[in-house]
Amino acid sequence: MAIAQGHVGHVSAPPATTVPAGLAGWLSTVDHKRIGIIYMLAAFVFFIIGGIEALLMRVQLGTPENTFLTPDFYNQLFTMHGTTMIFLAVMPMNVGLGNYVVPLMIGARDMAFPRLNAMSVWLFILGGLMLYFSFFAGGAPNVGWFAYAPLTQKPYSPTFGVDYWILGLLLTGVASIAGALNFIVTILNMRAPGLSLNRMPLFVWMQLIVGFILVFAFPALTVAQIELLFDRHFGTRFFVPSQGGDAVLWQHLFWFFGHPEVYILILPVMGIVSETLPTFSRKPIFGYAFVAFSGVAIGFLGFLVWAHHMFGVGLGPLANAFFAGASFLIAVPTGVKIFNWIATMYDGALSLTTSMLYSIGFIAMFIIGGLSGITLASPPVDLQQTDSYYVVAHLHYVLFGGSILGLFAGVFYWFPKVTGRMLDERLGKVQFWLMMISFNVTFFPMHIIGTDGMPRRIYTYESGMGWDLWNLVATVGAFLMAASVLLFLWNLMVSLRRGAPAGNDPWDAATLEWSVSSPPPPHNFDQIPVVHSRRPLWDHKYPEHAGDGHGASAPDPLVAGFEQPAIHLPSPTYHPLILGVGLTTLFFGILYSSIPPLSISLAVVGLALVAFAIVGWVRDSHKDSPYAAH
Amino acid sequence: MGTRHRPPVRRLLYAVLAFGALALAGCSTLPASTLDTYGDHARRIHELLVPIAWMALAVFLVVEGALIYTVLRYRRRAAGTMPRQVHGNTNVEIMWTIAPALIVVVVSVLTFRTQAANSQMPADALKIHAIGHQWWFEFRYPEQGIDGADLVTASDMYIPVGRPVTVQLEAADVMHNFWVPKLAGKTYMIPGKTNYLTFTAEQPGIYRAVCAEFCGEAHALMRFRVIALEPAEYDSWVAQHRVAPVIGGGGVLGGDPNRGKELFLNARKLCITCHVIEGTGAKGIIGPNLSYYGSRQTIAAGIMPYSPENLERWLKHGYEIKPGNLMSRVLTRDWIAANLTDQDIKDLVAYLDSMKVNVALPPAR
Amino acid sequence: MAHSSHPGRIGTANVGSLGVDSRKLGVWTFIGSEALFFAALITTYLVFAPVNMARADAQNPKEYLDIWLTSVLAALLLASSLTMVLALAAVRRGDMKLFRVWLLATVGLGFSFLGGQVYEFTELYHHGATLSSSLFGTTFFVLTGFHGTHVLIGAIWLLSVFFKVQRYPDSPETVMDVELGGLYWHFVDLVWVVIFTVIYLI
Repeated sequence: MAIAQGHVGHVSAPPATTVPAGLAGWLSTVDHKRIGIIYMLAAFVFFIIGGIEALLMRVQLGTPENTFLTPDFYNQLFTMHGTTMIFLAVMPMNVGLGNYVVPLMIGARDMAFPRLNAMSVWLFILGGLMLYFSFFAGGAPNVGWFAYAPLTQKPYSPTFGVDYWILGLLLTGVASIAGALNFIVTILNMRAPGLSLNRMPLFVWMQLIVGFILVFAFPALTVAQIELLFDRHFGTRFFVPSQGGDAVLWQHLFWFFGHPEVYILILPVMGIVSETLPTFSRKPIFGYAFVAFSGVAIGFLGFLVWAHHMFGVGLGPLANAFFAGASFLIAVPTGVKIFNWIATMYDGALSLTTSMLYSIGFIAMFIIGGLSGITLASPPVDLQQTDSYYVVAHLHYVLFGGSILGLFAGVFYWFPKVTGRMLDERLGKVQFWLMMISFNVTFFPMHIIGTDGMPRRIYTYESGMGWDLWNLVATVGAFLMAASVLLFLWNLMVSLRRGAPAGNDPWDAATLEWSVSSPPPPHNFDQIPVVHSRRPLWDHKYPEHAGDGHGASAPDPLVAGFEQPAIHLPSPTYHPLILGVGLTTLFFGILYSSIPPLSISLAVVGLALVAFAIVGWVRDSHKDSPYAAH
Repeated sequence: MGTRHRPPVRRLLYAVLAFGALALAGCSTLPASTLDTYGDHARRIHELLVPIAWMALAVFLVVEGALIYTVLRYRRRAAGTMPRQVHGNTNVEIMWTIAPALIVVVVSVLTFRTQAANSQMPADALKIHAIGHQWWFEFRYPEQGIDGADLVTASDMYIPVGRPVTVQLEAADVMHNFWVPKLAGKTYMIPGKTNYLTFTAEQPGIYRAVCAEFCGEAHALMRFRVIALEPAEYDSWVAQHRVAPVIGGGGVLGGDPNRGKELFLNARKLCITCHVIEGTGAKGIIGPNLSYYGSRQTIAAGIMPYSPENLERWLKHGYEIKPGNLMSRVLTRDWIAANLTDQDIKDLVAYLDSMKVNVALPPAR
Repeated sequence: MAHSSHPGRIGTANVGSLGVDSRKLGVWTFIGSEALFFAALITTYLVFAPVNMARADAQNPKEYLDIWLTSVLAALLLASSLTMVLALAAVRRGDMKLFRVWLLATVGLGFSFLGGQVYEFTELYHHGATLSSSLFGTTFFVLTGFHGTHVLIGAIWLLSVFFKVQRYPDSPETVMDVELGGLYWHFVDLVWVVIFTVIYLI
């Protein structure tokens, strides 16, 4: 395998800043690569926790009339499982990969706002910890991850669980919006010379689209949660039907966020496989423009389909027809993507690495999730399938078979870049096949028991409904999945120590991140490249196969054609972390509004920390200004 | 890189097998199968699902087939092979943009036809008012009662076969969801909002039904039965139900129904705080109406079959049977120990069991 | 905030491949998100307005709200947009003295608005309109309260710009600092125009 190394020019002066060693270096970091790693590690920990919650539920459901868990604890578990996997595992994993890879892919030295980036990661972690603190503070939320009103009102949910759910997610929401804003500005404004939008790697495209979706979708959730918080704490009646409040309004606000959220979870993964498939086929992506713009179309349509989660709510046939039509339409850009991926592999020289296998597995499973989605988008059929295990099957084919398998593809692909070592391929392939089989063993039967009338979110069921066997099968499958994840964990630990050295470009890839060392230096690029095509590194390695298919071959991208700027990195700082801690403290103050002394002291401490952090932040930014008098 | 592993054919095989299983389920007679329909609403949904499922299966086979073929065919190329660098083909791409769009149009047309049929609400339909409570279903028949009062029952919804029924759906506390898989698709019961669901049972039978929307601690134990009777039999049920129940027959479990009635109506035993029995002083409206309780199919909202023994168990150990239920939260184990002897409970069971309606029950479907 | 050392455009360090300042792009994006936030709150208000009136415990906004007071408040806020424009013009000219005057005037007008809002809320409270008194109370206080909070944040933002300019008078980022604070300030004013129309005029 051809590994292009040593093509970068001389190493210029080391970065001006000094990074503290050890833990302090991580807590004060503003380096997008370190922040990306923190994101990914935290997301993986939450993924494991969410997985354990799933296993407990599967044990409970393994046999009919089981008494392994109490009903209330089961209800807490499924709420926390959904919330964790969506907000604390898959989303931050996408953000983490993006954080690490996007600046490298576009030839930038960092994100546009490194301190804001640090604040985002700490707020995400603190929000997650706050949510989990609920287990030790009277009980976790037990109302489902979409928390339908009015079950979330005080009389029906008297513990602090729902408050932790609101405030923990508000923290991660702030993190998400700040992070999305950072991605948008970074991608639009920090690209290397010549890297026009239509030359951007597709992973970057998808992160850009997700950034916009996040920025416009999250406010709806924020407003819904604030209104619910006011209902529970300050006597308002937004979602109190007995006082004129509107339970359906919650659903509109929630799903206006919630459906785009699905694309927030899946589009980055579509970006990942749009990188891995060409690399492991030694071909360019088939139909770059179609793949990019179908992503835009999916992102746009995602805002017009929220009510397909509400066909049973009684919005009327006309509204249902509109939302059904828009939902069906999404099949078109999704289909286009799948066809283009297959066409990318067609006539290629495939190397079936673990990453490639996971990419193929992603396509295979996502097709099933897409097809089961068609029936759910049809309002009459939806009325039978919604709120049944069929939906549970569908959403796991999309979010596990889709998002998580694709994330494994991305992790196997970029692990060498991040660590400088290869993950073990043999272990990886065993793990892949175990995962593929066990995933289907777990979730395929759920289509059947859903069709046979098993509702979701029940902690027990009676025997004789025809559900016993398939539930047991699903439980066995879940434990096999856990074994596969354990195998991955083992691979991770072994490879970190003893993995084969990766070199700059182990996969003979095409994009800029592979042109620098593994792991890359703090400043990413000694020389900022000038980009002339979609595959700058490929064109550098294979000039005879270069270009974007328009005939003209491009000049070598990795030869600097302009005056290089001085390398200037922002200094490490604790202020983003302090801001996060301050905001979290303030939120605890709001949560305990019913205990005024505690509430007020927490709020005062929180606000003081926030103020202190902002002043320090302004100082940091001035100190790092290239014009500042040192 | 490594090419020595088995082809992903297993994936295809498995999926086909599973789809086969799904198709087989269509012939099943499982108690809550959505594919084994006895009502027009559910039947039309099934009839819509079948063509969509076939189209989906065809798409599945074609696309997964193309995927697997491509992977198998191009995976063993010699190391260092440089494939032709194809960047795309606009015509082909336009074609496979249009292809799914066409399928989508077909599915939409089919969908809208079924939707139109399933949202019909004939004026002559029987009107039943269903109310979801944490965690049981109340049914009120506005047209069948006497003197403007509704005919009220709970947990068993009686309907006539062959006549459209329009269920007016409401909720007393949180959101619930009304689902009779073999008769109709589900519809939400939303506090502060009224929904309607119209369907016709096409054959007599006792049908399983549940609350399908998570509604709190005992959501899993919130079930009911729909009992579809031949019209004459249904009319007889209504006629009998319009008359206040009287104690008929002797005591079960060695209980004394007359003494049970006295206990029931004794305000200090709290039954009448929440329950109604027509024609008596029991006028509480928080809990289910218990008139003709002896003819219920199940106890505690569909979670165990009706029998005097189960009823005794329910009255003694309600909290273990249905965690969180309101009656057990008020009448705690300690309260029961202090206020009701074992014989008292047997007498109450005998009283409740003695009120029966006489109809020939159809088979459970 | 961060600078992007974009190559090829030495000397305009914050201007990137899109040709705009990164921070400006960031603030615009943030304003886009904020617009959706207020859109959701305003929608909630509009959804409940007729429901409120149809209820037995209805509180008619027309009977509770003092249109003259809020017209004065609106005028204060609109005037603050004008002074903000003048502050930016002054700092662009390099006239730091006038800049300080106009910026502080903007902040002062902002706080006057907040003072007026506190007065309005107190009056309403004494007349029986609270968060829990009716759907009107619920939606009115949450919507205008969150707007007021944003005015407060905007005023603090502008104050921090003021102090930053005092502390680092030679920073070449001063003009952009002022422009960004102003951008947000204008947005908050604009939201008030919409809220004023929806609640007080219609």
